Amino acid sequence: MRIISQLLAIPGVIAAGEYAYRGDRFSFKGEMSPELARMASILCRSNTLMTNMQAEIFSAFAENCGCKPVQGWVVHGKDVSVCVVGNYFCFCRNTRGLLNDVMTIMRAKVGDIEENPLVYMYAKLGGDVNEKLY
Amino acid sequence: MSLDNLMQVPGALAAFQYDDRGDLKAHQVKEGSELTPQVLDLLAHTCVANMAIATMEARGWEALTGQSGFEPIQGFSLVGLDWSAVVGRNHGVVVKNRDADYEAAFAALSAYGA
Repeated sequence: MRIISQLLAIPGVIAAGEYAYRGDRFSFKGEMSPELARMASILCRSNTLMTNMQAEIFSAFAENCGCKPVQGWVVHGKDVSVCVVGNYFCFCRNTRGLLNDVMTIMRAKVGDIEENPLVYMYAKLGGDVNEKLY
Repeated sequence: MSLDNLMQVPGALAAFQYDDRGDLKAHQVKEGSELTPQVLDLLAHTCVANMAIATMEARGWEALTGQSGFEPIQGFSLVGLDWSAVVGRNHGVVVKNRDADYEAAFAALSAYGA
């Protein structure tokens, strides 16, 4: 649940939650009713399965093409985006800088960012990040 | 419009253009990338499918919940292990996850009518 709390601490995040790959268990926090969170969990689970199926097909064309396993997906709407990494989902507003921050935190927790996420985020600034931070 | 602007997106490995059926119409691949035209063509087809599904879900979600702000869908991104495909209306860019700037990618795609 810590990742959900971290996401909700970011201004502009509407709701965040966790869903089970199998079954109908879910948990969430934010501006969303339990029924909407249940529907969001189903939607995210089915889309994640779909993207995994697509990656399987990609790998049939080009083994080690770099897409498999899929980490997640993003739907970028007019004012709101839905981000999914692993079995976590996050609904956030399209305010400047928010999408990248949300994705960095989600990938750091359940994706492929192995180093300190703070270093990763500051790496965008360039220069010797470790020297600046530590 | 050429694909050069999309290749300027941070971490860009490839940029591509596709028609409404998902057939690949043009592409650029960064030297050294292992992405092939075949993979990009398949990617383009999944882009069309995913954008259609996202639109269907957004429309349904807005109707069911009364929430707004989802439609029209501006883009979709598939986040793979090493790279992410970020797509808009008829264009897409593949970016290395390590350098990915999703907002910059969606902003660049909006110039192509995403």
